[in-house]
Amino acid sequence: MDDGDTINELNSSSPLDQISHLALDIGGSLIKMVYLSTNREKPVDKTQNSSSKDNLLSGRLYFLMFETSKINECLDFISSKQLHYRGVQQNGFPASDNNTIKATGGGAFKFADLFKEKLGISLDKVDEMGSLVSGANFLLKSVPSEAFTYVNGQRNYEQIDHNDLYPYLLVNIGSGVSMIKVDGDGKFERVSGTSVGGGTFWGLGKLLTKCKSFDDLLEMSHQGNNRVIDMLVGDIYGGMDYLKIGLSSTAIASSFGKAVLDNKELEEYKPEDVARSLLRMISNNIGQIAYLNALRFGLKKIFFGGYFIRGHAYTMDTISVAVDFWSKGEAKAMFLRHEGFLGALGAFTNYQLVEESPFTTMDDNRYPLVEDLNDNGIIECRVRASS
Amino acid sequence: MDGLKDNQSDIDAINNNINEDNNNNNNNITEKEDLEKDMVPPVGNSIHRSSSRPQLDLSGAAIQGNFEERDPTILLPNQSDDISHLALDIGGSLIKLVYFSRHEDRAVSDKRKMSTKERFGVTNGNRRSFPILGGRLHFVKFETAKINECLEFIHSKQLHRADVDNAVIKATGGGAYKFANLFKEKLGVVMDKEDEMNCLVAGANFLLKAIRHEAFTHKEGHKEFVQIDHNDLYPYLLVNIGSGVSLIKVDGDGKFQRVSGTNVGGGTYWGLGRLLTKCKSFDELLELSQRGDNSSVDMLVGDIYGGLDYSKIGLSASTIASSFGKAISENKEIEDYRPEDISLSLLRMISYNIGQISYLTALQLGIKRIFFGGFFIRGHAYTMDTISFAIQFWSKGGAEAMFLRHEGFLGALGAFMSYEKHGLDDLMVHQLVERFPMGAPYTGGKIHGPPLGDLNEKISWMEKFVRKGIKITAPVPMASPRTTGLGGFEAPSSKGDALRCDESNLNVGVLHLVPSLEVFPLLADPKTYEPNTIDLADPNELEYWFTVLSEHLPDLVDKAVASEGGTDDARRRGNAFARAFSAHLARLMEEPAAYGKLGLANLLELREECLREFNFFDAYRTIKQRENEASLAVLPDLLIELDSLSEETRLLTLIEGVLAANIFDWGSRACVDLYHKGTIIEIYRMSRKKMQRPWRVDDFDAFKERMGFGDKKPSPRHKRALLFVDNSGADVVLGMLPLARELLRRGTEVVLVANSLPALNDVTAMELPEIVAEAAKHCDILRGAAEAGGLLMDAMINTQDNPSEKLSSTPLMVVENGCGSPCIDLRQVSSELAAVAKEADLVILEGMGRALHTNYNAQFKCDALKLAMVKNQRLAEKLIKGNIYDCVCRYEPAS
Repeated sequence: MDDGDTINELNSSSPLDQISHLALDIGGSLIKMVYLSTNREKPVDKTQNSSSKDNLLSGRLYFLMFETSKINECLDFISSKQLHYRGVQQNGFPASDNNTIKATGGGAFKFADLFKEKLGISLDKVDEMGSLVSGANFLLKSVPSEAFTYVNGQRNYEQIDHNDLYPYLLVNIGSGVSMIKVDGDGKFERVSGTSVGGGTFWGLGKLLTKCKSFDDLLEMSHQGNNRVIDMLVGDIYGGMDYLKIGLSSTAIASSFGKAVLDNKELEEYKPEDVARSLLRMISNNIGQIAYLNALRFGLKKIFFGGYFIRGHAYTMDTISVAVDFWSKGEAKAMFLRHEGFLGALGAFTNYQLVEESPFTTMDDNRYPLVEDLNDNGIIECRVRASS
Repeated sequence: MDGLKDNQSDIDAINNNINEDNNNNNNNITEKEDLEKDMVPPVGNSIHRSSSRPQLDLSGAAIQGNFEERDPTILLPNQSDDISHLALDIGGSLIKLVYFSRHEDRAVSDKRKMSTKERFGVTNGNRRSFPILGGRLHFVKFETAKINECLEFIHSKQLHRADVDNAVIKATGGGAYKFANLFKEKLGVVMDKEDEMNCLVAGANFLLKAIRHEAFTHKEGHKEFVQIDHNDLYPYLLVNIGSGVSLIKVDGDGKFQRVSGTNVGGGTYWGLGRLLTKCKSFDELLELSQRGDNSSVDMLVGDIYGGLDYSKIGLSASTIASSFGKAISENKEIEDYRPEDISLSLLRMISYNIGQISYLTALQLGIKRIFFGGFFIRGHAYTMDTISFAIQFWSKGGAEAMFLRHEGFLGALGAFMSYEKHGLDDLMVHQLVERFPMGAPYTGGKIHGPPLGDLNEKISWMEKFVRKGIKITAPVPMASPRTTGLGGFEAPSSKGDALRCDESNLNVGVLHLVPSLEVFPLLADPKTYEPNTIDLADPNELEYWFTVLSEHLPDLVDKAVASEGGTDDARRRGNAFARAFSAHLARLMEEPAAYGKLGLANLLELREECLREFNFFDAYRTIKQRENEASLAVLPDLLIELDSLSEETRLLTLIEGVLAANIFDWGSRACVDLYHKGTIIEIYRMSRKKMQRPWRVDDFDAFKERMGFGDKKPSPRHKRALLFVDNSGADVVLGMLPLARELLRRGTEVVLVANSLPALNDVTAMELPEIVAEAAKHCDILRGAAEAGGLLMDAMINTQDNPSEKLSSTPLMVVENGCGSPCIDLRQVSSELAAVAKEADLVILEGMGRALHTNYNAQFKCDALKLAMVKNQRLAEKLIKGNIYDCVCRYEPAS
């Protein structure tokens, strides 16, 4: 399991919590899971009446990650929860939910049989891009302080004006990168993408550093110095800038370019430096391509999501600088707190949980969506569930 | 925050030369070696000879026949004849060198020619005197790591003007700074550093404007050359892929802006590749990628979707979802992956990324044309395919990636251009001729080796190759079978196994600057004119002609050796020639685009050039002489016979005669076999008898009518006719001369247009005056005309007749066409021909080479008659749906 903190959180949650509306985003590298946990002990009054078609549930949205290669952990987890709560499901939720799970991502196709076989669960496949978009729209509209810019090491939360949200460019950095122009709810188009994404960082990083996990690799990059391995403008010009075209001597002329000149073996480079160089190469590239696409469609707002970012300061910084540099300050890179869970959240919103504008409920002040103070991503919410 | 300064990620690359090439290439061989010293013609031979296209009508220098001429506007500031400008682009891994050498063989004093010129005001006729000297541009590469080899090369060729203190060399690239002291110390030269971007752009602009087929597209392993309209060149996006990548918007000469770039470039490929695969050279890494299967490293859409497409957004199962994404989900070490797969994955990732960023940038700027250059590409088919695919994929076919043949030399060429008053800017496309010397097939675009000193070394070099057992028939390694998972973003479907390794690169030849060449002014539309009738892009056609040329080779070698006295030395040279030419053929068979756009005319010219390279200047000399003598002997009888006919009948008989005499063609195997069966006049008569009209293509009636024998009101006679002659012997003497005589008799001035240099048994402009003079001995018409045309002034006959008796003042002239090939490309003819053509209103093209292989479809501003006997079954079927020995008489009134 990838997200230890959340898991602990979850494990420590009361056994009386009821888990429902599990949604999955099964990607090439990671499985992202979102589910709703309602506390049986403090049921919302209205939901007591099981005959009512309008159940207002209060609870928490939990976010979890597993590595796709360790899908059994995910299956075990679902299995354990299901077994645990099988007996109580008449107490509020339609039994059918337990047999069908909303799922998106390529793995929803690939692993459909596995889920059926092991858990007797059918995966109800939800379109991946659609999920990403509805997840992002949900977060941007319903969760306060979801989006932020990252400048000089500072997170600055952006107040998103719902009326001025569209159009925007959504850059989802998963294993690969999808760039989606979003014009409204359900109105979107995948306009571009690149295969140089999180999978590339991790894959190349693993080959180059023997690092065991993505997070280790990110952590290492923090310690590194890319100048050791990148060819800088100054390396070519004998320490001089190439002012004519506005390149400073410290600008990277060629990522990994110095590895050509040094005649060193891989082992002679510090893994930290390699990781740093790799991270910069990929972050910068994504920032550049994202900017070029935003420019192409005249989009001012670019939101970056996907598991690659993970709130990693240096990643966000590099992307922000790239967008700022290329747009000459015109465009801003914005990040999402629940960046990794857009798809899963989108799949989650696909439950016929709520028929009419589901989360508007939470917009009124009586039931605001409350960000978990510990910043572990858990969202307190109330949803209206229609059976 | 800290670190932000160097965090200007964006930044990228500037450097146009990549650090790829720690190439321990064994084949350290000379490539674009010119060996001018060898080319000095044998002493005592009056014939103007050259290793290249002749220096036809040079500037004042040539006209005065003065080797020491120093026109102040001239390219070279120095005094020496064969010395040159040199410019360098010193990159991290490669040094690119461009240097200029003057033709050593220019301006052989020639009174006959002079007088003709003077007479017709050809000399300075049309234009300003040429500010540019004729000469050659050479393109050479060295490894930066072996910079001493480069220094030695410069020194041995005396390119640095050692006799001048503090000579200045233009240089660009990062190394221009780094190695400035070394050059100062070793060669005593000062590096004048030129801005890198300036150089790149200047180099690209020059190439795109001056070289006809510089740019090409590359899709699914197939190259297609693109003719760029000079008036519609700008703006374009120049993507220079060096260690990093620069994207430059070019709006005109010296007008450009670096609009973008990326730091993920060639250095990244090679740097990461080196760390991941332990490859020792960039080329090795590229070579590895040929055998790779990226699906073992990359995460494909199919991997995520369980083999399914994600067709809703247009992604197929083989689309790469995440480069190297598969390296994460398995517990494998780096050693568990095949280096081949890693190299391919890396190559695709980087090429694709560059393609994508380039497209997006072009889109943003509203630019349609994207040219890719820089050493990363190095003619590597897969790289180009991937970039092309990316552009096509993202633009949905709206944009095309184009590549440049001289891709690696943009910077060096630009530095060369930066010499003041070089005059290169003014060069037009028709003034450049690219030649591929003997080493070309072996070295491809690779690193230069030691300079070869003389012909002997050159021959030894050829012999060495054979000894080493290097396969002469396939100097380029064949492709490994296509592996799975190949392709751009999605696999560009390569045609079966056609995706072959051509990492040996497209060849870059020596660029001959011939300022005196001009476009033939009578072409109806020079822009759409295409000389070649046969398109060698058709593989069957290509194979056929390669076979024809190969089979003809032993015979040609025998002739060539005999022409040089059959000595051991000649035999040795002959064998070396055969090897060199076979290697050219093999190289071209393997990669038809290796030398640029390939037409039959180019192929035939290549053969002639190759002969000259081994000092065979006139392989058919003896044969030509013998046939000329034999034909001249029977000419008087023929003229008497002709004169007995009525004018109308005579015209037909003359045309029949031209067609019949065209059978004497040593370029045709079928005809060579014929010659053993009879004397020239017998064959001629027999041949003429067979000339039963209608011919396969027969516009004779229209021509006859134009000549005034029809029912309509006769048109005025032609003022001047240009007769493009073909073979020596019967063809010219019994065929074309009588026709010329008839035209003269009718008051039409006649200009015999012949080759400047020997090619097969074609008659040359140097030989013609003697032939005419000999013929004139027996014919007053010819004599008068020849005198009027200035041909007899120094022809070696003593006219005893009183000059006042001349019957005709209509002149007969001879001009050279500017080439030394059996075919003719009318975009590049001598200025002399261009000048006489302006007064001409009839063009007669004769023979297969000039009227069928080339120019069969050419349209002229004036009346044109194309006459030939088809002496090749395949051509007959293809071109006129006929048979061998069928005749073509194609008449087209002025268009």
